Amino acid sequence: MRWTALYVRSRQVPASLAAAVVSAAAVWALSGGGSADPRLPALVLVAGTAAGSIGLGGQDLALDRTAAIRWAPRRAAHTLLIGAVAAAVLLAVQATGEEAATAAFVVRDSAGLAGLAAAGAVLFGAQHAWTLPVAWPAFALFTPPGTGVPAQVATWMMQPPGTAAATWTAVVLAGGGMAAYTLAGPRR
Amino acid sequence: MNTRVLRTELKRSVAPWAGAVTLLGGLAFLYSLSGPWWKGPELWTAQWTSMAMWTRSMLVFLWPLAVGLGALQGLRDHRSKMPELLTSTPRPAWQRAATLSGSTALTLTSGFGLFVLVGAVQVSFSAEYQHLGWLPVSLVAGLALVAGAVLGMGVGRALPFALTPPALAVAALFVTAVLRMTLDTVPPSSSLPIPVALLSPAVEGVRQVLLTFSASVHVGQTLWLLGMAATGFALLAAATPKARTLALTPLLSGAAVALLVLPAAPRETYVVDEDAAARVCDGRVCVTKAHEGELAYLAGPGEKALRLLRESLGAGAPAAIRETTALNSPLEPAERSRTHVIVDFADEAVSGARGEELTRVLVGLGLAPTCSSRTWGSSGTDAEAAAQSVAAGWVFGDLRPIDGTMHSAAYQMKKARPAWKKLKALPRAEQHSRIKAMRAAALSCEAQPLEALTGGGSR
Repeated sequence: MRWTALYVRSRQVPASLAAAVVSAAAVWALSGGGSADPRLPALVLVAGTAAGSIGLGGQDLALDRTAAIRWAPRRAAHTLLIGAVAAAVLLAVQATGEEAATAAFVVRDSAGLAGLAAAGAVLFGAQHAWTLPVAWPAFALFTPPGTGVPAQVATWMMQPPGTAAATWTAVVLAGGGMAAYTLAGPRR
Repeated sequence: MNTRVLRTELKRSVAPWAGAVTLLGGLAFLYSLSGPWWKGPELWTAQWTSMAMWTRSMLVFLWPLAVGLGALQGLRDHRSKMPELLTSTPRPAWQRAATLSGSTALTLTSGFGLFVLVGAVQVSFSAEYQHLGWLPVSLVAGLALVAGAVLGMGVGRALPFALTPPALAVAALFVTAVLRMTLDTVPPSSSLPIPVALLSPAVEGVRQVLLTFSASVHVGQTLWLLGMAATGFALLAAATPKARTLALTPLLSGAAVALLVLPAAPRETYVVDEDAAARVCDGRVCVTKAHEGELAYLAGPGEKALRLLRESLGAGAPAAIRETTALNSPLEPAERSRTHVIVDFADEAVSGARGEELTRVLVGLGLAPTCSSRTWGSSGTDAEAAAQSVAAGWVFGDLRPIDGTMHSAAYQMKKARPAWKKLKALPRAEQHSRIKAMRAAALSCEAQPLEALTGGGSR
């Protein structure tokens, strides 16, 4: 328990959590309590995973690596938790109003975005990990709607649940990002 | 700032990344997707103003990234645990702030400048109408990127937490997403008050080639962005909490002044570019200056079509051809004229046809002008296309569909053939009066031209 508390503190989880809750509530309040637009829940999940991504590295990576503990399962759990918390915050906020996003949509997007954040941490370090899960949706938010597979892959987080190309993109991003982060850890 | 400091600064910051993201992000978006920027006369490499507008529309996602990357830059000193050391040096804080923001401003403007240059090179080869009226659009875009990044740096310095950059980037993304204007109305407008929507540095693409921003939009946005940059810079150089609070003044006053300067009505926001809409004529065929290049293929068939119309209609025939300069709203009928044949290069039946085919289209437009409102890049309704093909067929002596409309040849023929047979069965003088009735119906925009042609004439 003591280890968990220290880990949570060193990874700035309380601040991330607060940021995720505040941004979700702000988006929801400004959008007038939910609408059919898939971009709003996607934006909330982006905010949640971006806020969580700063904890993918500790204060001192060299010191972390000297610790005689198995990092791999902890890293995997951390990535999973980022996605789970982002999803939970969105579901909790939209429980107060009209339901805008289905559970399948939320699970797919949060898993994919968490994987993207993990990949960002491996490639650029935890401080810069948010660039990937923010840049891709930023690009996709303003893409004109298309029906081809490349368009579906590019805008996977905006597609209706059950779109095969979008689901597979999310699966690949979640699996790939998590595997890379679990094995390699954040870039120094 | 000497070049050695600048070089070191560029090596030790995310500034090169910011420039690269601006250049490659914009190019990737435009080239990897097929959107309205690849279609019709609003093509982003066809006209200078369109190019400036389309490249600036990329700010909708480039600007939030610039803000976020700027915040990362502002966090750098804190991350390397050196602010204490720096406060002990006698060098004024604003000089260090200038180095930091200068390097990012340099890479951002060069990145965006190169992006615009890619478009500019293509436009300079393809556009006949060369002008500099587009420059303010791109200059404000460059200023917006710099101001956003400097504000990000300032906030990053004032709130040195790892959470600041992602929070700022997502907030900026939300701002540009919410403040988007809609192109579905003419001129483009917004559900929010227009001055508030204009605070977003991004624009919404191009709906009509001749539309551009009015001067007050440029002035208001420049004031707002200068205030934003000033606040960012002041935050970057400020050392005390009091100075940080004072640093917010330029941002707030910039916003207040901008809201006063920015126009409140859509029609004052987007205006028809008078220079681009100036008339260029070859004989009786006139186009706008922006489409001067189209005159080469339009003039010959145009003169021929006018002669044919004169022969078949007599004194009431249109005397000239000109390009429409009206705002084409989806809610209002298209521009029509009794004395002119109105052409619109957004209509692919006109812009896609050449020679004899174009003469047919122009004769069709002269006898049965399109009155249905135009939505994005479309031609008239199927009934109008059929009426035009019958009208042109009557002059030329054989019925042929109009190519280039949204309606297939077979579909047009299905509608046109019964009317054509009815018309040809009538005596010549009666045919003549039916054609005139059809023209009157199309001009008034109240009756269906095909009905006027077949039965409505006996009303």
